[in-house]
Amino acid sequence: MQIESNLLIDDLLNRTENATVAAWKFKELPMDQLQLKHNAETWSMLECIEHLNLYGDYYLVEIEKQILAQNGKSKSTIFKSGLIGNYFANLMLVKNGKLTKMKSPQDKNPIHSKLTITTIDRFLKQQERLKSLLIQARNIDLTKTKTAISLTKYIKLRLGDTFRFFIYHIERHILQAEKIHQN
Amino acid sequence: MFTEKLLHSLDKISQQKILLKGEFLLKEGQVENNIYFVKSGALRVFLLSEFEELTIRFGYEGSFITSLSSFIKGTPSEFYMEAIRKTTLKVIPKASLLQLVNEDTESLKQYIALLENLITQQIEREIDLLTVSPSERLKRVLDRSPNLFQQIPLKYIASYLRMTPETLSRIRNS
Repeated sequence: MQIESNLLIDDLLNRTENATVAAWKFKELPMDQLQLKHNAETWSMLECIEHLNLYGDYYLVEIEKQILAQNGKSKSTIFKSGLIGNYFANLMLVKNGKLTKMKSPQDKNPIHSKLTITTIDRFLKQQERLKSLLIQARNIDLTKTKTAISLTKYIKLRLGDTFRFFIYHIERHILQAEKIHQN
Repeated sequence: MFTEKLLHSLDKISQQKILLKGEFLLKEGQVENNIYFVKSGALRVFLLSEFEELTIRFGYEGSFITSLSSFIKGTPSEFYMEAIRKTTLKVIPKASLLQLVNEDTESLKQYIALLENLITQQIEREIDLLTVSPSERLKRVLDRSPNLFQQIPLKYIASYLRMTPETLSRIRNS
């Protein structure tokens, strides 16, 4: 996949804004709905959001670190997706509004933790940080800048792919939370 | 003393509030119009960042607590106030407090003394946070609040001291 960097950033900022608006709506819901579990093994709305926070704890720090390290260096205006990065990003992308079941790594699974409104507030703060990183990334080479991933230190992804993966992943679980609410 | 007068006047203030463990007295963004006297239980005041909850102050039994800058300036609170366990509070509205303060010169003087005391406490806290050694940070806080561990769970004390619960356990046991 190849795209003009600014168009990719525009698209990702738009997706980020939509997820933020959805989270603000969640904030208005009564706590018992946010904590409701349809059965013991599936997540509540808050658990979906906390799962995203746990990923944010890793990726926001890593992305910021790599952006700061790259400042001022040469840049291309075209982003070329990598083979593995493109695969991961597409894996996360929601197709036709349908969610396929995926297994969460143990350390990113918030099930049975005690969660409250601060979970959503923290997510909203992370979204603000993400937005700021996307804007900063307009001046960064999205192909040449590499970021480590949370699963293994042996793979590094291109920043553009990491953003795509991370933001598609947010969309996926926001949709999951909305479906829990509708059921 | 003003605090005694304030405490005495509390008997006349009937408004009481009971919070269960984990319930919020105030959330970020809300404006605080009261100060509270902790009759029983304990509270913590914390700041939420993208990554963690930063505990900045505790409200012990027998003390007053509020989200201070919000209360003083009438601006949205930066902080959350949460009950650590079941907590009973006396609610003192800002207007009642100010009326008491302005009753006579002596009250006003003592109120100023109270605020001065608060300023010096904040300076102590500033020194805490600038103290590099974790064990020295713990010692400073225990000198001020010897019963800290009897009233507050370890994880919140660790957050207040800007260290992990593991580090706090280790330096406590050594």
